[in-house]
Amino acid sequence: MNKEQTKKIILGAFCLIGLLYVYFTFFIGPLHKSEAAINAKIEDLQGKIASSKSEIAKAARLEENAHAATDHYEALRKLTPEGAPIAWFPPKIKTFLAEQHIDKATARLDSTTPSKEKELANWSRYTWSIDLPQADFVTLGKAIAALENSEPLLSIKKLTIRASAESPQLQQVTLTLSTLIDIK
Amino acid sequence: MPLQLNLLHEQFAEQRQRKRDPLKLTMYVGIGIAALFILNYLWTGYRVLEIKSRLAQVEHDWAKLEPKVTAAQKRAEELNATIGTTKALDGMIDARFYWAPLLQTVARCVTPNIQLTTLEGTADQEAKGVVIVLEGMAAGSEPRAVAEDFRQMLLEQVGKEQPALKVEFKTLDDLDTSVPVGGNNAGMAHFTLGVEFNPFPTPTPTPAERKPRARKEE
Repeated sequence: MNKEQTKKIILGAFCLIGLLYVYFTFFIGPLHKSEAAINAKIEDLQGKIASSKSEIAKAARLEENAHAATDHYEALRKLTPEGAPIAWFPPKIKTFLAEQHIDKATARLDSTTPSKEKELANWSRYTWSIDLPQADFVTLGKAIAALENSEPLLSIKKLTIRASAESPQLQQVTLTLSTLIDIK
Repeated sequence: MPLQLNLLHEQFAEQRQRKRDPLKLTMYVGIGIAALFILNYLWTGYRVLEIKSRLAQVEHDWAKLEPKVTAAQKRAEELNATIGTTKALDGMIDARFYWAPLLQTVARCVTPNIQLTTLEGTADQEAKGVVIVLEGMAAGSEPRAVAEDFRQMLLEQVGKEQPALKVEFKTLDDLDTSVPVGGNNAGMAHFTLGVEFNPFPTPTPTPAERKPRARKEE
């Protein structure tokens, strides 16, 4: 091999290296990169699809299981009429007591506080004072029982019964009621 | 042996030399490799196109599924919130204190020689529980004993429902006045009774997270 041929071989080798470099850097390299990126995207999407399917199934199961809870919740919500509670609660309680043969009842709003429980963020606690100047003890007991049974979201926090000086068979009663009301 | 003369010796040598030209050989090898590379490039390109079409299919599937998943997630959140709210409401409903049965029990304990003038009760789940103050008069030859009987009766009757019950006299005073009971004049005593019990369920404390013990270094 003469000098000229050696030079040619070296030149050829350089050309080959250049060809390899160009090929891998500008042709096959980007193609492989894009292939890898697409594969990763496909895997990601397939993972999402699989988890989504299980999530849809879970939601469907939850829907079936929560049927009783949603019905119960709706029933409890229906206990709260539309409008401001100050507008409907006093007439409602007066009517209720009148039906229980307790007249001259007065109701006033004492306080309103948002519910402490985070699950009841849309519910507020209203505290009411109910004055019954003339109530017979037995009638009062029956009325309280009916009230406690018909209004599940209501609880009596304070109860004061005093003998009436004017008529001994009647009592003066003050009730402090607490109601949970859905703020619509 | 005849003498053979190769008159084209130089031409043959030159031709042989040309055939062995390393540059030419290198070029042939280079062209071969380039052809292989082109084939590889085309094959890889074909694969990428195929994968791209698969991606398009998967994206199409996801686009169809995504609104359903979002709706399902939203619905699940709503349902969980509803279940949580219902549980909290049910807890409150169940924890309520019912006054009517207690009033009935107190009324049953009041005998003809006892007169209650005041009943004051509070039910507070966060404080002591239920606290009732009963004020009244007891009449009889031994008015204090009558008041004590009333206290015992309350303890027995209310205690049936509420085991941890306390019924204590806050005051018990004899009065100078007397009243006719069963045709006889009876002495009177004024009493104030305190009734305490806790009907509310005690909240179960959430277990505190255990702190990992620091290892003693030897």
